Amino acid sequence: MSRISITIIILFSIVLFASSLLIAESKTVSDTLSNSTVLQEETSEHHSLPSPYMVLPFIVLLAMIATGPLFYHRFWETNYPKIAITLGAITVIYYLVFLQDSHSLIHTAAEYLSFIALLSSLFVASGGIFINIDSKSTPWLNAGLLLFGACIANIIGTTGASMLLIRPFIKVNRHRIKPYHIVFFIFLVSNIGGALTPIGDPPLFLGFLRGVEFFWIIQHVWYIWLPTLVVLLIIFLIIDFRNKLEPEEEVQYSGKFEFKGGKNVIYLVVIVISVFIDPSVMSWVPSLAPLPIGIREIIMFIVVFLSYQTADDEILRANEFDFEPIKEVAYLFVGIFATMIPALQLISYEANVLGDRLTPGMFYFSTGFLSAFLDNAPTYLNFLSAEMGKFGLNVNDAAQVINFAELHPIYLSAISVAAVFFGAMTYIGNGPNFMVKSISERAGINMPSFFGYLIKYSIPILLPIFIIIWAIFYYNQV
Amino acid sequence: MKTINEVLSKKLTGLYYGNRILLPFSCYILKLNIERDLITDFSPCCKGIHISETEDFMEIYFHDYKDLGESVGKYEKIKMIIVEKGKDVFDVKNHIPIALNPIANHVLEIEQIDDKIIFIE
Repeated sequence: MSRISITIIILFSIVLFASSLLIAESKTVSDTLSNSTVLQEETSEHHSLPSPYMVLPFIVLLAMIATGPLFYHRFWETNYPKIAITLGAITVIYYLVFLQDSHSLIHTAAEYLSFIALLSSLFVASGGIFINIDSKSTPWLNAGLLLFGACIANIIGTTGASMLLIRPFIKVNRHRIKPYHIVFFIFLVSNIGGALTPIGDPPLFLGFLRGVEFFWIIQHVWYIWLPTLVVLLIIFLIIDFRNKLEPEEEVQYSGKFEFKGGKNVIYLVVIVISVFIDPSVMSWVPSLAPLPIGIREIIMFIVVFLSYQTADDEILRANEFDFEPIKEVAYLFVGIFATMIPALQLISYEANVLGDRLTPGMFYFSTGFLSAFLDNAPTYLNFLSAEMGKFGLNVNDAAQVINFAELHPIYLSAISVAAVFFGAMTYIGNGPNFMVKSISERAGINMPSFFGYLIKYSIPILLPIFIIIWAIFYYNQV
Repeated sequence: MKTINEVLSKKLTGLYYGNRILLPFSCYILKLNIERDLITDFSPCCKGIHISETEDFMEIYFHDYKDLGESVGKYEKIKMIIVEKGKDVFDVKNHIPIALNPIANHVLEIEQIDDKIIFIE
């Protein structure tokens, strides 16, 4: 059977499965709609809920991201921008023509621009920094680098830490590298590490903008973050100690640590500071509404331009700097952001309707599994809204968010941990995952496919840890 | 036909036209990376790449790319692990990592990959 036939069967099965779910979902939604029109108005801000069938473009896009590189590689490589934009356009036209809801689109456009401004600025600024560690690769050194990356992810974001450290990490391990090295890097540096501060990962930053205090997360999450990190590092060490690959020839190591591109560190600092330049954080910052862009995003795009223009040519050459990885993220996520609008609205609606019956454990798994496949930032926000709705609080009121964080920390902790941790479950769970994969492939590493990553690494390693976290911290908590 | 060492030491260049590169030496290619494609299948049935040799040069066609000058970014390179024709392919000391960089006027820079650039064999 040809690859195309297998792909068509997989896609058809996914669509068929999704359709059957949607028909059931459609029935549930229509039943609940008739019973709770007030909630509908609150949830959809005076716009109708989308048809459950409008989740199909999102499912098709996810299915193609998963199957494209595997079964129709060349077609996918050439056409993914057109596919992502076309599927996104279907949702946009539906919202404009049928729902006449431009508000949701502008809101999503603003979130997308904010997302891509942060990612691209960190990507370009860190691309102008060269780090070289001329030392023999050992499991302990690797574990130290992963731990260091996980910690600095809370200062320069998971994207910044990933872009800064992935190349030195590969170089140190060049004589004994295997795909698991990169996978653990994605687990620890690109995702779980950044769970302690609002700068670490975008969902936590959205929470911060809504009123969650800066140090609330570290106070309420560190005792989950630390053991998770330790367990993952122990698993990594066990695997890495079993890797007996050695360089064929005797290699002399100087033990030197080389760092070039200091001015780009200044750009990184500018990006981190600009994260806080938001009207909801600093009252003097002008809002550019109704434009879907703010002063913060403008600063970040200026950093993209300046850091590229002023970067050292030798460093860019050594880093083999190319815009392709960020271009890929930009195209795919424009499709993901657009097509996931109906999915998120339906989920948010259902969560509000079922709010009374939802426990922290349920919020943990719902946020987690959706964050693995959807973008974790809007997923977090929708579940924060649902959690607060459960207690009659409004997510748009900062005072009420602070109140909620004080009175019901277990709920906020559940979605904060899940949104960040579960982002490591797939390549599309978090922006830097894709970039790290792309850089590794260009360095000659044969990375696992979408399903390979899921089946060989995330499900056997991450899922049991996430279930244990649930059992210890969120099970039977109300 | 020149040897690989001669080409590298004299910093001789190759040529590229569209999706075709011309190398002034003859070699066995073990592994090749272009963009995100990691190619190890160089058999005639492999659709993505075609290698042929004349008395004076070796040529590689990349069927999945229209113009290498546009596809390969300014700071990117085509990377290969190669062995000089006639040398023992099983002796890893003979494995040479090289980078090809398409620049202006169809010129293809050829250089040995140093420690700064990562290419895992």
